[in-house]
Amino acid sequence: MSIGLAVLLVILALLTGIAIRRGGQDFAPAFKRAIEQFAVLVPRMICALVAAGFIAEILPSEPISRMLGDGAGLVAIPLAVLVGLIIPAGPVVTFSIAAVFSGAGASDAAVIAFITSWSIFAMHRIFIFEIPLLGLLFLRIRVMSAMALPFVAGLLAIFAT
Amino acid sequence: MDYSFLKDAEWRSTILKTAFGKGFWGFLAFAVAMAALCYVISGQAKFTNALIADWDLIRKMVVRILVALSIAALIWVMMPRDKISALVGSNSGLRGILIALVAGAFTPGGPSSAYALLAVLTTGGADIGALIAYITSWSILGMQRILIWDVPFMGYEFASFRFLVSIPLPIIAGLIARVLCRKFNWDLKKHAESGKS
Repeated sequence: MSIGLAVLLVILALLTGIAIRRGGQDFAPAFKRAIEQFAVLVPRMICALVAAGFIAEILPSEPISRMLGDGAGLVAIPLAVLVGLIIPAGPVVTFSIAAVFSGAGASDAAVIAFITSWSIFAMHRIFIFEIPLLGLLFLRIRVMSAMALPFVAGLLAIFAT
Repeated sequence: MDYSFLKDAEWRSTILKTAFGKGFWGFLAFAVAMAALCYVISGQAKFTNALIADWDLIRKMVVRILVALSIAALIWVMMPRDKISALVGSNSGLRGILIALVAGAFTPGGPSSAYALLAVLTTGGADIGALIAYITSWSILGMQRILIWDVPFMGYEFASFRFLVSIPLPIIAGLIARVLCRKFNWDLKKHAESGKS
């Protein structure tokens, strides 16, 4: 068993303890929610993981490592941010792409810039949730405040390595 | 304890439809196509390698995801939403932003739960810096996303590196949002009341 799984199990035990002390009425809705989330995520995710594994095997890694690798230096960051910006899909697609990039030799900094950019600007989320629930002014404030973050993340990652 | 939803035929068929709906078959077809392509282009040896690596990854992943989703579901049910909203009020300062950062990282679930909490916080008069820090933290640092996506696809080392590098980001966004709103005199509450959203 890995350390990560051990940590998760400890957290789960703690939360279960808290839930028991609160009277145990939280277990049924939590169980329901867990099943629902599992159904949403896991079947598609397994397919995506398998697909990503095969793509990584066939994709010519040379152009990716040239444009997004350590050798590309600072140029890799804006390029990665741009790719993250234009992906209008959920985490399944995005993390498959990230894994393929990484396997083909993209630097950690570029992949972090890519994931951060997608996390902040994911178009589908903006149109489905943000604009209807919070309005255009909120979107404007958020985009102006967070615009620079993917670049900051990429640069921090470069300096940290 | 009410587990009657388990016997609810409608709920069960919804679950099956979510799990194996159109999206799933699309992804499955894509995976099969990529497998065939890999076999044709790279040959049998590399195909088998990729298959073994995939199987290994999935085996480890499913257990971890079961535990991670149980954690997320318990937090989601027990989360003190009203208490959080009291802590990030309009004069909450840097502390409000930091609380929002932690709350964002630990809000489980997809955009529907995060944006629902955000809408509650907005009507509760939360500070704009805290709101922006919250949603930025949820999208970049969200623990559920890191456990379910970063770790299986990218590995522990990358996941923790990305997490550490990203901790300052929601704070930066929250502070910028405060300055912007002061400078341009933007007010979310007034804006919502005037119906211009």
